[in-house]
Amino acid sequence: MPISLTITLIAVALFLIILTTCILKKGRISEKYAILWYSVSLILLLVAIFPNIFIVISKKLGFDVMSSLIIGIFIGILLLLVMAQTVMIAGQKKKTILLIQEVSLLKKELDNIKGKKS
Amino acid sequence: MEKVLLIIPAYNEEDNILNTYNSIINYNKKSKVKYDVIVINDCSTDCTSEICHKNKIPVIDLIHNLGIGGAVQTGYKYAKENDYDIAVQFDGDGQHDIRYVKDIITPVIKNEADMVIGSRFITNIDTFKSTFARRIGIKVISVFMKFATGKKIYDTTSGFRACNKKIIEDFSLSYPNEYPEPITTAELLKKKYTIKEIPVEMKEREAGTSSIKTWKNIYYMLNVTIALLMIKIRRYKKCQ
Repeated sequence: MPISLTITLIAVALFLIILTTCILKKGRISEKYAILWYSVSLILLLVAIFPNIFIVISKKLGFDVMSSLIIGIFIGILLLLVMAQTVMIAGQKKKTILLIQEVSLLKKELDNIKGKKS
Repeated sequence: MEKVLLIIPAYNEEDNILNTYNSIINYNKKSKVKYDVIVINDCSTDCTSEICHKNKIPVIDLIHNLGIGGAVQTGYKYAKENDYDIAVQFDGDGQHDIRYVKDIITPVIKNEADMVIGSRFITNIDTFKSTFARRIGIKVISVFMKFATGKKIYDTTSGFRACNKKIIEDFSLSYPNEYPEPITTAELLKKKYTIKEIPVEMKEREAGTSSIKTWKNIYYMLNVTIALLMIKIRRYKKCQ
């Protein structure tokens, strides 16, 4: 693997680690997702440091070049992530609906009580 | 005597809501019945809420727009909290005729059905039966519904329905937010509830536009079809 690519991969991995740490520090993502991004950075670091392992794996799996395997892995991770988020959004939507309904029903009840008092 | 609640979901129905309410009140007086009403104002941007409050129409103002399913479910929750025996979904846009409420609640009162659907397609009365494209759509959903549940329902998208306490309880726990009519009907059939269809006449909307716009029809069909196929393979706990 050319040295420039190794440097680029390490730089991207470090950038991801710093970015994730900053966001996590501000409490804007949960640890669960931080772990995922740390894992992605770790894979990048592994590829940069031990390219031979990945070259062997990609040959075994029938990829012509290692970069295809790496891209494939990342597309897979991103697809899973989007799927997980779709599930999460659906769950959040249900909770929001429940909240809106309960607050609206309570408001109606409150109006009724106020109406009876006055 | 059974406590009957008419659930009227309303989104931007300022032109129709008062007429609809008055028609119910007049019918109550004339026929010596007592159908209670609850309007669920789905965060309308027009004067629906103001009209309801000014005319003392019982209304729940949703604090955020939920869509038809969420609004109707709020009505079922209200019915459950206030111990109603029968809940009837009734459109706020003047499509449904109050005179048919008696017909659709009678089988529920007599325990002949858990839910009754007011159907446009099992009658020969020459009445408004929706546009041609939508009729085809309803037929296709009907075929998929038969495939998913083994039962034939003719008017799969009718929003004119009456149900008993068991279903009120069921609906207040879970109700789909999108495409609720065909989906809930199929789910109820899978749970072995008895559903009956009764012929009714429906009028064309008095004002405003229907929530299902033409360009959305294909998307609607696709979603309902997928939902019905899922209902086919999903397992449901049978009703007691």
